[in-house]
Amino acid sequence: MEQADKHAQNPGRERILARIRAALREAAPQHQASSTAGAIFAAVPDALGRFQQECAGNNTECLVVPDMGAGTAAVATVLGSLPAGEIFVQDAPSLRSMTSMWHEGRTVRWSSEGGPTESSSATISLAETLVAQTGSIFVSAACGGRGASVVAPVHIVVAGLEQLVPDLPAAFARLRESGALAKNSYLCLITGSSRTADIEKIIVMGAHGPRRLVVVLALGSS
Amino acid sequence: MSSAAQEFLRAAAIKSVDLGHRQTIRRAIDHYEAAVEHTRGRFNDWEAARQRCHEIKWEALNHLGRYLVEFEGRVRARRGHVFWAETSEQAQQYITDLALRRGVRTVVKSKSMVTEEIHLRPGLERKGFKVFETDLGEFIVQLRNERPYHIMTPAMHLTRSEIADLFTEKLGGVDSDDPQGLVAVARRELRKAFFSAEMGVSGANFLVADSGMVALTTNEGNGRLGTSLPRIHVAVTGIEKVIPRIEDLAVLWPVVALSGTGQSLACYNTLIGGPRGPNETDGPEEFHVVLLDNGRSELLADAEQRDVLHCIRCGACLNACPVFRTIGGHTYATTYPGPIGSVLTPNLHAGGQFRHLPFASSLCGACTDVCPVKIDLHHHLLHNRRNIVGSAKGPMSEQIGFKLWRWAMLNSRRFAFLSLLARVALRVLYRLGLEGSMIDPMRPWTKVHAAPRIPGKSFRALWREQHGTS
Repeated sequence: MEQADKHAQNPGRERILARIRAALREAAPQHQASSTAGAIFAAVPDALGRFQQECAGNNTECLVVPDMGAGTAAVATVLGSLPAGEIFVQDAPSLRSMTSMWHEGRTVRWSSEGGPTESSSATISLAETLVAQTGSIFVSAACGGRGASVVAPVHIVVAGLEQLVPDLPAAFARLRESGALAKNSYLCLITGSSRTADIEKIIVMGAHGPRRLVVVLALGSS
Repeated sequence: MSSAAQEFLRAAAIKSVDLGHRQTIRRAIDHYEAAVEHTRGRFNDWEAARQRCHEIKWEALNHLGRYLVEFEGRVRARRGHVFWAETSEQAQQYITDLALRRGVRTVVKSKSMVTEEIHLRPGLERKGFKVFETDLGEFIVQLRNERPYHIMTPAMHLTRSEIADLFTEKLGGVDSDDPQGLVAVARRELRKAFFSAEMGVSGANFLVADSGMVALTTNEGNGRLGTSLPRIHVAVTGIEKVIPRIEDLAVLWPVVALSGTGQSLACYNTLIGGPRGPNETDGPEEFHVVLLDNGRSELLADAEQRDVLHCIRCGACLNACPVFRTIGGHTYATTYPGPIGSVLTPNLHAGGQFRHLPFASSLCGACTDVCPVKIDLHHHLLHNRRNIVGSAKGPMSEQIGFKLWRWAMLNSRRFAFLSLLARVALRVLYRLGLEGSMIDPMRPWTKVHAAPRIPGKSFRALWREQHGTS
C-alpha cells in the first residue's frame, strides 16, 4: 500500500516506464560478436608481492608485519610521527586491544561515540578486503563509518593477510559471501591517497581526502 | 541557420586561431595521452575489455525497464527514495522542494553532468540556497561563472597562472601558481562548506540493479565528503546509467579510470545504497535518487542510435577529436561537448537548435576508435546528418549545386570538358591575383587558406600516360 502511494505521488514513473516499454519494441541490432576471447586482465599469481608493488606505485604506505603484535607497534610508530590531536578509531575488539600500546596522551574517539570530528588528526579502521591487482582497500560503513576513511589527513588501515584477494572479481565474491554487500549502506574501494589532476592535468596529492594512507598488513594473526 | 549555429561559427572562428588556447589544450591532452598509453599496458586485452563493457551496457539498455525497477526496489528496501523525473524542470523542482521542506541552507555538489543538464545550481541559487561546487575543476569554473569546458576536466582550458589569478581575486591567500598550493587553497575553502552543508548532491557513474547501489567514481574525495557529512544526500542521474550486476564494475571501474584520466583505478570508487543504516556510525538521514529521462527514452526508441545511451561520460572522444581540440569545449554551448555531445544533444529535449553540431566533424572516426564502450560515434554523426537533412530541404544554392554535379557526373565527356574549363578558369583567376576574392568560386576555402596549385593535366590524362589505358 505504501509502495502504491509513493508511485501515485510520482506519475512520471509510469509514464517513463511506458515509454521505455514502447521504445524497446523494436530490437536494437545485436552487438557485434566478441572477436577476442582473451582474458581482460592477466591472473595475479603472487598476491602479496603484487599488493606491495601496487601500493608503492599508488602512494599507499604498506607495512607488512609478522603478526598483530608487531602491527600494534607499527601503528604506534605512525601515530608518533603525527602532530598532537584526537584520533578516531573504529570500535572493534581487535583495535580496542591495540590501543594500550599507542602514544600516551592522545584522545581516542571511538566510532561507537559518533563519526570523526573535523579536527581528527588520524583515523584507524579495519577493512573488508584488500585487492592485490590494484593495491586497493575495500572499506564499508561497518569499518568505523563513512567518515572514518576520508575525513582526517591520515588514514591507517589494519588488516590481515587472509583478507587479501587477487583481483576485483574475487573481491566482489568475498563481499557477497561475507554479507558486507547486503548489510552496508556504504562501501568504498580506495586506491591510493586523495588526488586531483584538474590543474593542467598535473597530479597533486591530498585534495579533500587523506594525504597519507597507511596499510598495516599482518602475515599471522597472533 | 539558427542563431545557435551562427554563434557556433563565430565562436569557432575566434577559438581556432587562439594559439594560447591551443597550446593549453595540447599540453593537457599530451599529459592525458601519455598516462593512457602507460596504463593501457595493465590490461591483458584492452579490446576484450571494450567488448565486455559494450555487452554490459547493451544488456542493460535493452532491458532498461526491468533493471531500473529492480534498482528502485532495492533502494526503497534500504529506506531510500527514488524519484522519476520526465524533464529537467521536474528534477530541479523535486530537489529544490526537498531542500525547502527540510530547511536546507547550504548545498555541496560533487561533479555531475546531469546536474548541469538540469541547471540545478542556478535553480537552487534562485531560491536562495548557497551552493558550492566541490570538485576542484568545477569549483574553478563556478568562480569564473562558466560552464564546464570538458566533461571530465572542467577547467582544462585554464593555465595554473590563470587559476592563481582567479583565486587571488576571489579567495585570497595565494602565494604562487604552484598547483599543490592552489589545491590547498581550494581544500581550505571547501572544508568549511562540507562541514556546514545540510544537503549533498552527487551524480552517479553507474546504478547497480542487483545491489541497489549508486556507484560514484572520484579522485579528490569531495564526492565522499559530500555524501557522508550532510544530513541529506541526493544522487541525480540519467535512466541510462543502470547496469545489471555488481560484478560488472570489475571491468567498468578500470575502464572508466583509464579512458577518463589514464589511471588504473580512480582513487575512490564508492557504492551508496541508502541513508545511514540502523547500526552505522554516520551518514545522511535521507537518501534520494532522481532518475532523469529528459529525452533519453526517445533516443532509446531509435534502435539505430540506441547505443549512444551506452556512454559512460569518460570524455575520451573529446580528447581524441581534432575539432574539439581546435574549437574548444565552450564553443559547442551545450552541456555535453565534443563528439558524444554532437550525437546526443540534437536528440535530447530542446535539441532542435543544435542541429548544426553533427556537421561540425571531420568524420575521421578517432572518437569511435577510443570509445571504451564501442559507440559507433562517427556513423551516428552521419545518421544525425541524414535525419536532419531528410526532414528539411537544404538551401537553394546547395540544391542547384548538387543537381549540376549529378548532371556533370553522368557523362564522362561532359565531366572531362567541365573539369578542363574549371582548371583553366581558376588558373587565369589566380594569375590575376583574384584568389579569395568575391568572384573566386573557391572562396569559402581560399579566403582563409592558400589555394592549392592547379594541376595542368586531369587525373584521367595522367592515368593514361602512366598506364597506357583509360
